[in-house]
Amino acid sequence: MADAHTASHAPPAHGGGHTAHDAHGVNYLLVFIALCGLTLLSVIFDVVDMKGQRVLGVFNGTIVLAFLVLAVATAKALCVMAFFMHLKFERNWKYLLLAPTIILAMGLPLALLPDIGVHYYTTDTPQKSQVAGPRTVDAPEPVPAPGPEVVPHE
Amino acid sequence: MALTQPSLRPAVRMGLPIPNSKLAMWLFLGTEIMFFTAFIGTYLVLRLGSTDANGNLAWPSNPDVTHIRVWAGGLNTFVLILSSYFVVVAHEAMGQRNIPRARLFLALTFALACVFLGIKAYEYYGKFSHGILPGRVAETEEQSQRKVVRELEHAVEAAGLTAMQARVIALETEKASAADDAARQELAAEQERLNAQIAKLAPFEAEFRAIRDAVLAGTISTADLQHRVHELGEEYPALAGGVHYQEPILYGNIFASTYFLMTGFHALHVLVGMIIFGVVLAQGARLNAGWGEYVENAGLYWHFVDLVWIFLFPLIYIV
Repeated sequence: MADAHTASHAPPAHGGGHTAHDAHGVNYLLVFIALCGLTLLSVIFDVVDMKGQRVLGVFNGTIVLAFLVLAVATAKALCVMAFFMHLKFERNWKYLLLAPTIILAMGLPLALLPDIGVHYYTTDTPQKSQVAGPRTVDAPEPVPAPGPEVVPHE
Repeated sequence: MALTQPSLRPAVRMGLPIPNSKLAMWLFLGTEIMFFTAFIGTYLVLRLGSTDANGNLAWPSNPDVTHIRVWAGGLNTFVLILSSYFVVVAHEAMGQRNIPRARLFLALTFALACVFLGIKAYEYYGKFSHGILPGRVAETEEQSQRKVVRELEHAVEAAGLTAMQARVIALETEKASAADDAARQELAAEQERLNAQIAKLAPFEAEFRAIRDAVLAGTISTADLQHRVHELGEEYPALAGGVHYQEPILYGNIFASTYFLMTGFHALHVLVGMIIFGVVLAQGARLNAGWGEYVENAGLYWHFVDLVWIFLFPLIYIV
């Protein structure tokens, strides 16, 4: 259906002239209103403030919040791609072009995830050491680091 | 014989059923997807890996600490969505050969891009003024204390005490070689004035040195440090009025790095979009239906910029 629709939409030749755009019958204003509504929904999720709470007594509030707002963001992205970017009306080349791109794009995060995101070992960072046992006034560090250079005392 | 007969079938056309420029734009957007996914994905992975000593997620997310304002992000989301809608309307108008309407909506899109960058600049100002910058955030109590010492040191330097002291010594030599009594008296007056200023600033410098030594030796509590810095600020408002102890922000530097990386590159894309729209708008009365393909590709680019922000908004401002 979409392919047949696009057949009339396609230009006569490569680099061809301007094509008809409003043949899709999309009410862009409705899409815009839907996008605004979804944005409002994201803000409402923020106002509800689930962070650090237990949702339904079981689920971690932060994870639920992340899931909800990312689901809304995905819905918004699909609206923009399908209607504003006309992907709904394009032929199958969109899959050929976008699928490898998205697969390759996932490469870096997936490669980083095991070592940085969910590492099983403990890292020795000053931030964590500080949280574990803050330096106290009674027990100063034995070797103070060199301080900043200041004006010489007359 | 048959080979000489012309074929009745139309010539086979290679490639995709879209203009070359549109294909090029989509290929470019493919690389852009990978570009931004790398940033967003790395941000997510780093965020998941930022835990405290007990293994709990410790990424800074308190708005009072990060100075992230949901209303600013939400407003910018609305601005970009509206601009995306305007681009579609402009594209539609180009298809209908309604050039004035297309020009109007392209101009509105350009204006909304300016609004977006204005709000973004306001947000950046908030981060700058609170020292939320990569490599500038104190992450531990010790770092916070040393940061105060550095700020006090800058205040001492700004007071120009060293220069004044050097000048007093130089004046002593100049006085000895002065041509007459009048010149000598003038130099003496300057010396006296400088000595008075030095005497006025000496307690400030002495207190700075005492605080610095105590911080370096680790013998001052944060409460005591805050109290002494506050008193210095009250006594010398021009010098130390702006010096404050800032609470440490665990993982504040990596937060600032990822925040500025993602939003900065996005803002750069907005800027490029403005140039793209600026080219069309610069055509003025020469703009015609032949620019339809250009407007379509500009629109695709702009929608992609919108798309990136659609994900940045929840990830940075809400979660």
